[in-house]
Amino acid sequence: MSKTIMGKDAYWMNFFGLMLLTLIEVAAVGTDLGPTAEGFDMTERQLTLWILTIIAIPKFMMIAAIFMHLWGENDSGILTLTALFPAFFIIIMVLFIGLTHPEAATGLPAWCRPGTYGL
Amino acid sequence: MSDDYGHDDHPSPWGPHDWGHGAPHNSFAPLILSIGVGLFLLMVGGLFTFGEFDGRYLPMVFVALAVIAAAIVVWWRQDMSFDGSYEPRARGVPFKNIQIRKVGVWVFLMSEMMIFSSLFSTYMRYRQGIPRCDTIFESGDWVEGVAVNCFEPASQLIASSWWHIAPGAINTFALIISSFTIVQALRWAHKPVGSVDEDVRRKRIYRYLGATWCLATLFLTLKMIEWFIGFHVPEIGFLGIHEHEIHSLYSEGYLINNDHYQAHHYIDEATGAHMVANIQVSASLFYVTTGTHGLHVFGGIIGLSYLTYKAWTGAYNPQSAVSIEYFGLYWHFVDLVWVLVFPFFYLY
Repeated sequence: MSKTIMGKDAYWMNFFGLMLLTLIEVAAVGTDLGPTAEGFDMTERQLTLWILTIIAIPKFMMIAAIFMHLWGENDSGILTLTALFPAFFIIIMVLFIGLTHPEAATGLPAWCRPGTYGL
Repeated sequence: MSDDYGHDDHPSPWGPHDWGHGAPHNSFAPLILSIGVGLFLLMVGGLFTFGEFDGRYLPMVFVALAVIAAAIVVWWRQDMSFDGSYEPRARGVPFKNIQIRKVGVWVFLMSEMMIFSSLFSTYMRYRQGIPRCDTIFESGDWVEGVAVNCFEPASQLIASSWWHIAPGAINTFALIISSFTIVQALRWAHKPVGSVDEDVRRKRIYRYLGATWCLATLFLTLKMIEWFIGFHVPEIGFLGIHEHEIHSLYSEGYLINNDHYQAHHYIDEATGAHMVANIQVSASLFYVTTGTHGLHVFGGIIGLSYLTYKAWTGAYNPQSAVSIEYFGLYWHFVDLVWVLVFPFFYLY
């Protein structure tokens, strides 16, 4: 329980890191990124999405590794493998079904479209 | 497993456990809880069948809530005496010497991950497949009075100003801080006996758990403000802030059943024409995903209430700290999901 990062307590370092990354997230949305986006040949929305995704990944890993003890413990290895087990199914679901089905949004039968039940 | 397994002192799955004699953590409580939650969801579904309120299901909703409450009472009654003296460990590969309950929590969390992945997958597909409302508005490809099927991300409203985004942003920080407070509670529970005064340990643990409870409650309170209530921004002259109202999503008309959504930003300044949008898909995705996450927070508050009370009695020590550790895994998972929900549903 006394792990360190750069000589400092791992929990505190993780906490400060997460707070900093979240601040960057909020700032990225509130700041006008239009001119920067033009430099990357993309829209401001695309650039924002890239920034948010890039920040979300380390945040996700920091919580899992430090707070959920998937790093530096005796059982970290096997528990990480357990945690990654559904990744295969998630990749299939998100990438192959979610993104590639050509008519997932428009080709659904009427009975399962919102509004059919008068909701 | 302990050699005492199957001993004469084998406890009842209904009553308080005799942990000192190798209680095998057997309990009907999780099964009853699952049945109660399943019944509750079914009956709530029945209550609003085809969008119409059907009061016949109402008594069964209360029966389901009673079943859930009974399960929680049985569970807590059994756990209250748990002092960590018997924590079964796996004997075979691949989890040899790892606490069985810990592995169980991880398997549970992975099933939760699948639930949220399906919600994210649905969101991604619809977000990709349905044109955005602002894109259609700017293209001019719409007729006043005729509802356009389009995707209106909640961020269109939430990320429209710093004040609008404030509840979600504060919630993000609240969850991160709560993740930190719960690991601090665990750290104090883990401190070796003799290295710290036991009363100091007790106070630190229940205060950290209590702080986590407060932050979780803050999260849901802000969620309600954001969804239903809104708030008033006072005049703060020296900061140049003028008095104004921040409307809730509800009062803005961002609803799962709104097929005639009229936002102020969809008025053509030249002609004064107002675009009307059917936003049922986007609003449903937002409320179902963030609502599912909110339900998990609510479940966490119930668990934290018990843990805080038990900590107040001074029950946690290095041996029994596993209870905080297992709950902490769940709580960090809730934080983990929010790490993805916040940027993609609130900011983008």
